[in-house]
Amino acid sequence: MKQILTVFSYTFKEGVRKKAFWISTLVIMVLLGVMCAIPRVMTLFDKGEESAETKTEYSGTCYMADETGVFEKEIPYLKAAYPGMNFKSIEQDEIKGLEKAVDESKSRNVAILSIQEKEAAPVLEITVSNFLSKVQVDTIADACNKIWQSHLLTEKGLEKGEVAVIQTPLIYTEKFIGNMNLTEYIVGLLLTFVMFFAVYYYGYGVAMSISSEKTSRVMETLIISAKPSKILIGKCLAMGTVGLLQLGGLMAFAGFCYKFILPEGFQIAGVDLAVSGFTPKTLIFLIIYFILGYALYAVMNSVCGAAVSKIEDLNSAMMPVSILVIIGFYLGYFTSVMGGGSGALSKLAVYLPISSPFAVPFKLITGEINMQELGISILLLVLAIVIVTTFSVRIYSASVMHYGNRLKWKELKKIKTN
Amino acid sequence: MGLEVREITKKFGEKTAVDHLSFEMEGPGVFGLLGTNGAGKTTTIRNILGIMQPDEGEALWNGTPITRETLSFGYLPEERGIYMKTKVLEQLIYFGRLRGMKKEDAKKSALRLMERLQVMEYQNTPAEKLSKGNQQKIQLIAAIIHNPQLIFLDEPFSGLDPVNAQVLRNLVKELVAEGKYIILSTHQMETVEEYCENLVILDRGKTLLKGNLKEIKAGYGHTNLVVSAHEDVSNLAQAEGLELFEKRAAETEYKIQGDEMAHRFLRRMTEENIYPLKFEIREPSLQEIFVRKAGESK
Repeated sequence: MKQILTVFSYTFKEGVRKKAFWISTLVIMVLLGVMCAIPRVMTLFDKGEESAETKTEYSGTCYMADETGVFEKEIPYLKAAYPGMNFKSIEQDEIKGLEKAVDESKSRNVAILSIQEKEAAPVLEITVSNFLSKVQVDTIADACNKIWQSHLLTEKGLEKGEVAVIQTPLIYTEKFIGNMNLTEYIVGLLLTFVMFFAVYYYGYGVAMSISSEKTSRVMETLIISAKPSKILIGKCLAMGTVGLLQLGGLMAFAGFCYKFILPEGFQIAGVDLAVSGFTPKTLIFLIIYFILGYALYAVMNSVCGAAVSKIEDLNSAMMPVSILVIIGFYLGYFTSVMGGGSGALSKLAVYLPISSPFAVPFKLITGEINMQELGISILLLVLAIVIVTTFSVRIYSASVMHYGNRLKWKELKKIKTN
Repeated sequence: MGLEVREITKKFGEKTAVDHLSFEMEGPGVFGLLGTNGAGKTTTIRNILGIMQPDEGEALWNGTPITRETLSFGYLPEERGIYMKTKVLEQLIYFGRLRGMKKEDAKKSALRLMERLQVMEYQNTPAEKLSKGNQQKIQLIAAIIHNPQLIFLDEPFSGLDPVNAQVLRNLVKELVAEGKYIILSTHQMETVEEYCENLVILDRGKTLLKGNLKEIKAGYGHTNLVVSAHEDVSNLAQAEGLELFEKRAAETEYKIQGDEMAHRFLRRMTEENIYPLKFEIREPSLQEIFVRKAGESK
């Protein structure tokens, strides 16, 4: 245990002293800060733009050139259907001049509605500044549709009241069984990617650290002092702690940005950014899944690091583990984030140790997993780590002092270890 | 008691790297493990230390199998390996702590040895900024920081300049005086002749020669004559039947068949009024013995 702690302490210190650790932390922090600052800056500009727009006569106005004469008469109805919009009647030959004025003013609150009659039916053309326009084109079209239906029905002899009854929309309410909303979905999605990145990146760090010790022959000095299994465990623990420290720091900074940089009431697609999914219980399970997921792949990666004699061979040696991580990630992503696959496939992703670290975080945030499933998933993951570590220690011990051609499985079986 | 290596055999696939090697080291001193490159010296050390498990045989220290847990041993590997980016003292403390030392003791021991090996000023310098020779000294300190009883030095003098080689030689002598058991692995025969009382010579994994160096040499008798004189004595030597072995800048070495042949040559020189500056009758060098033995084994 003392030797494991010694290896842990040295590797941890080396890990946090590396420039790469600080540079990557700072770069991600800056990116987080910038991402959170953009909405705040945009809010400032939006306020300015809106106050400027109120001064112009084109603000919040829909100019309507109606050849049929049906719609002009219903301006009060249009105003009622689209309360934020002022409807004004114009002539067809004024349209060109208005389009030019809208283009020059860049106003996003103006629409030009041209209604022409073709084959006894009106054809609508709604012109707005560009795709960023704030005008709800669908609302205008919907209101016009109702006006035209009403016109046809009254022509057929129906009373206004009867038409109104026909056009009354059905009352419905939308109800969700789960409590997930769009922002929880986005947060869960981000967490899945963060988990994949963290498990892969820090696992790669273990492989790199071990292969550099082997190729620089420091391993020969280490191995006579401590058992290979102790070196492996100490290293994996240290790199995992470095990862946890960095992730923890970044999460804390993200929390700071949410609290102090993001504008109050920030919305994604009209929904408030909710971090209600981050309960203390969720956080504890997220940490557990990071530690276990990292441990599973780090132990496998350490074998890859020990198997190479040249540092440039590391990537090819890591290929099998990389493929496994990617399969695990996509299985988790497909069944959780995409909501794909059958119920059985989704359960498999939660229970399968290679995919559970990527499948469970999303389900934790969105509340789609219960305690029983969590318990089984963690148990299977721990079991997998114990089995993989047992085999990995054996392979690591055999290959760490082997130089020359990469060891084949057949050769590994023959090598006696100590 | 001491070190006993019994019938160690190690194979890599079809190749036998070490073939039934046995030797003993009963008391403190320097034991030579000789052989050309690829003779199996490093594999032998790794098998003795338990870094590798031998296919056959065992290595005992005072009758007990050697493991990391049962014996405090030190090892200077042939391939140098230290943490290049880490400060010297820091990594020496780490290596000391891995050997079970307390931090303070490891620091004290590291500083003492750094002073002894004249690298004290580099304690806070990353190893990559040190010369190759100084890196080698640091690695030697890492090997003996915990004051081990049994020390394995694998090619310790390679890459050292004469001054640093002398510093290391003195340290080895001090370690022997302290009662340490040192196994010196090298292919430099002169180094072994300087230090080792007993040795084993390996050739492609097989034991070519084993025993006490003086006894081995004595077994060959006086076979060489080294002569240095102001005059050219090559014609005289030829006339006396001496076989030229090597002509060096200041002296010439001949092969002789017994002391009588050398005495005859000396008489002949004095009759010719030639008085040699140097006239040395000696046993063959270890290098010659090795070459001869290796030739015989083929």
